[in-house]
Amino acid sequence: MLPAMSTETDVVFDIAAAYPDMVPLRAALVARDWPGCRAVLDAAGPMERTGLLRLLGEEPGIEGFLRGVLSEDPTDGSASALLGLHLIHIGWEIRTGARAQYVSREQFRRFREWLCRAEQVLIDGAAFNPADPAIWTARLLSARGLGVGLAETRRRYDRMIAADADHLPGQIQLLQSLCPKWVGTWELLHEFAREAVAAAPPGGAHGVLVVDAHLEHGLEEIGPEQSVAHGLIVYLSQEAVRAEIYQAAQRSIGHPDFARGQGWIRALSGFAFCFTLLGDHRAAAAAFRQLNGLGTEYPWEWLGDPETEFRKARDWALGGAK
Amino acid sequence: MITRLEVDGVPALCAPADGPMHAGLVFRVGTADETVPVRGITRLIEHLVADVPGSTGPEHTYFHTRGTPTEIAAFLSGVCTALRNPPAERIAAARQRMTSVRDRDPLPMWRYGARSHGVASYPEWALSGLTDDQVRDWITRWFTRANAALWVAGDDLPEGLALDLPDGVRQPAPTAVTVLPATPAWFAGSDGTAAWDTVVRRDAGAAVFATVLERRLQHELRDRAGVAETARTEYEPRADGTARILALAEAAAGRSDGTLGGLVDVLAALRAGRIDADEVGTVVKHTSEGLRDAECRGARLPGQAFNLLAGRAVQTLDEALAEVRAVTAEDVAAVAAAGYDAGLLMTPGTGGADWAGYTAAPTMSEAVLDGRTHRGRGDRNLRLISGAQGISVVEGDVVGTVRYDACAAVLAWPDGARQLIGEDAVMARVEPTLYRDAEQVVHDVDQWIPARLRIDMPPRDRDRIPQPRPAAEIPEAEVDSRRPLITLLIAGMATLFVVAGGLGVLTMMLTQGPTEAGLFGGLGEYGLVASASILFGIFAGRIAVDAAAELRRQQADRIDRNP
Repeated sequence: MLPAMSTETDVVFDIAAAYPDMVPLRAALVARDWPGCRAVLDAAGPMERTGLLRLLGEEPGIEGFLRGVLSEDPTDGSASALLGLHLIHIGWEIRTGARAQYVSREQFRRFREWLCRAEQVLIDGAAFNPADPAIWTARLLSARGLGVGLAETRRRYDRMIAADADHLPGQIQLLQSLCPKWVGTWELLHEFAREAVAAAPPGGAHGVLVVDAHLEHGLEEIGPEQSVAHGLIVYLSQEAVRAEIYQAAQRSIGHPDFARGQGWIRALSGFAFCFTLLGDHRAAAAAFRQLNGLGTEYPWEWLGDPETEFRKARDWALGGAK
Repeated sequence: MITRLEVDGVPALCAPADGPMHAGLVFRVGTADETVPVRGITRLIEHLVADVPGSTGPEHTYFHTRGTPTEIAAFLSGVCTALRNPPAERIAAARQRMTSVRDRDPLPMWRYGARSHGVASYPEWALSGLTDDQVRDWITRWFTRANAALWVAGDDLPEGLALDLPDGVRQPAPTAVTVLPATPAWFAGSDGTAAWDTVVRRDAGAAVFATVLERRLQHELRDRAGVAETARTEYEPRADGTARILALAEAAAGRSDGTLGGLVDVLAALRAGRIDADEVGTVVKHTSEGLRDAECRGARLPGQAFNLLAGRAVQTLDEALAEVRAVTAEDVAAVAAAGYDAGLLMTPGTGGADWAGYTAAPTMSEAVLDGRTHRGRGDRNLRLISGAQGISVVEGDVVGTVRYDACAAVLAWPDGARQLIGEDAVMARVEPTLYRDAEQVVHDVDQWIPARLRIDMPPRDRDRIPQPRPAAEIPEAEVDSRRPLITLLIAGMATLFVVAGGLGVLTMMLTQGPTEAGLFGGLGEYGLVASASILFGIFAGRIAVDAAAELRRQQADRIDRNP
């Protein structure tokens, strides 16, 4: 068990800090050293590789370089996935994560334009690398942004799972698409989350899928007079919901095999959030200790400034544990 | 072994075959030689001169029978006699016999407009109005000794066979000119069916590619993803040395989008050259077996007779087998790449395929012609413009223009409505009830359009004649969140009204073979008029598309984090 952290420790929301491979990878990309990038990516496990590519795609100004790499070798799946993710990232930056009424028609037009560019890169990437889960994960993102529909989203997901069962980065994407606000229903969403967690090996970060599903559902159930926190507390306190969260935690962050694999911070951050809202000092404290100063903005951003909310919750959990 | 012979000046091919003797007489004429105003004339003649109907394709019409040599000689000689003296008194009866509906395929219209191969996408509007003279003229031009070929699957020519046909000239292959400004292109079809076609050089590699594509589609879309119920392809060699390859996939219920996505990916994978040598080997083996089997049954003969008419060499079985066996995975990949670039995709529903890099096929005209403007009654968005060059119909930014010098046909109803169909398949409809002083425009159209382009339509029921929309139904100009729904609803109803059943017809055209049901009658000609035009209801289709896109956008953008 990690030692309890003092409450003065800064919160680090940079996910890259949790993945040591990001440092040499980013350095190689900045140096436009593609073999160097490939060396790191090829050594990573499938989920880690997708996670690294996703983060790396946020580097600015890499489109020209990657197109060059692909013109040399159109079959390079890592370059296809990275370029696709990069173009999707640019598109979503233009669109922003704001609610629709704050996004202009011109922003939507350009968002779609970038997503179309990404999709075309990814179609070719998938043609050459039909078993690359990073490419199918990226195509789940583009599928949602382009609004291609549920059956097509499912088809892409099935291709991804055929390439790598329990591929968490893509499962998180499908889960998002299965929300009613996109192309799914609550029934589909919860069924998927439950089944994916049950199918995944114990000790993985997959428990976060149940957290995601319930938080998405809880957000939609917030009454007009309720604060987000209050609404979520009411939703999460339902016996069935609560039970499912604890069951998922047991199989995931609470399992003896839980390790620092892909998605581990997101999982701890999500469970810590739920336990805090449910007033479970002990469980929240355990999650915060394992985070060891790291965190994700998700899902704290829903309550207000993520850093403040995270720190507040951690102080409460660890303080209470004293 | 195929023997080349001649019967009464008609080139003939004869080869022994298993089973009873069969034979066919083919003419180099088909739907691609027709124009919209005489669409159906070839098939009418086919039914007129033989009790057992033959087959009318895009480029060939043939009469085929099986039986004793005496029966075969009697049948084919009878066809020739009837062609020489068409029994005018039987035209009505022939028309009656051919009411069964043939499936029509919309892709040719989108690729070629209302000309050549595109004509096949149109209904046989003119059928009831075709005159004896038109029938006689068509026979004189196309059903001649010089434009015919015979095949006989048997040990020898049937005794007593006489092919007493009028003299004429051998007709060249129809000229196919695309109206697509850019490919690969897409257009929106009906929900439930995804289709794709391309035109490539005609050779064994293209034929093998068509089969590889079929196998891939069945594997990926049907067996693996479960998004499609069926998938198949067709390889159609053409007389001009090209071949059309058509792929069709019927979506499983509610999975149209997955069918489209799967089709896009299969085409991309083949273009990328992801073609296994073993897969090609299997297809080559099956194709070779099929060729051998066809040789035994005499089933290679019709194709070789078509070759004769196209001035191509007759191919022996060994030559055909050698050509197929020589096909490599690289050859198939080359066809896939060329085919991809020339492709035309029919998306199931209005979603489109811009995301996959396909360009939208034109759905309307670019230019509004100069002329006298007639405003819509009660609808200021609506304008009808009549000038010396043609007619434009404008609603908002949707434009349908048909120039008189590029007009393929005009449908004329007794109540005054006129529908002009441009050679590019765009339509402009003059509905006198919808515009001020539109009678003048009807007069203009009737003055400018030559009689040969006019198709007289039967009277319309009163409720089929559109009425100006009451002002209350016109959506408010200001944008509020309910507006797309309202627009969609109105447009949807108008779609049912103006293009009644149009999209349904397209599905059925693609999915159903000939039926006895008389689909045309069931849906009403109004629906058929609209279904056969690119501008699916200028007053409705486009609005529906826009509203649907707007709805989707609003739906998709409520909260969208990008986790």
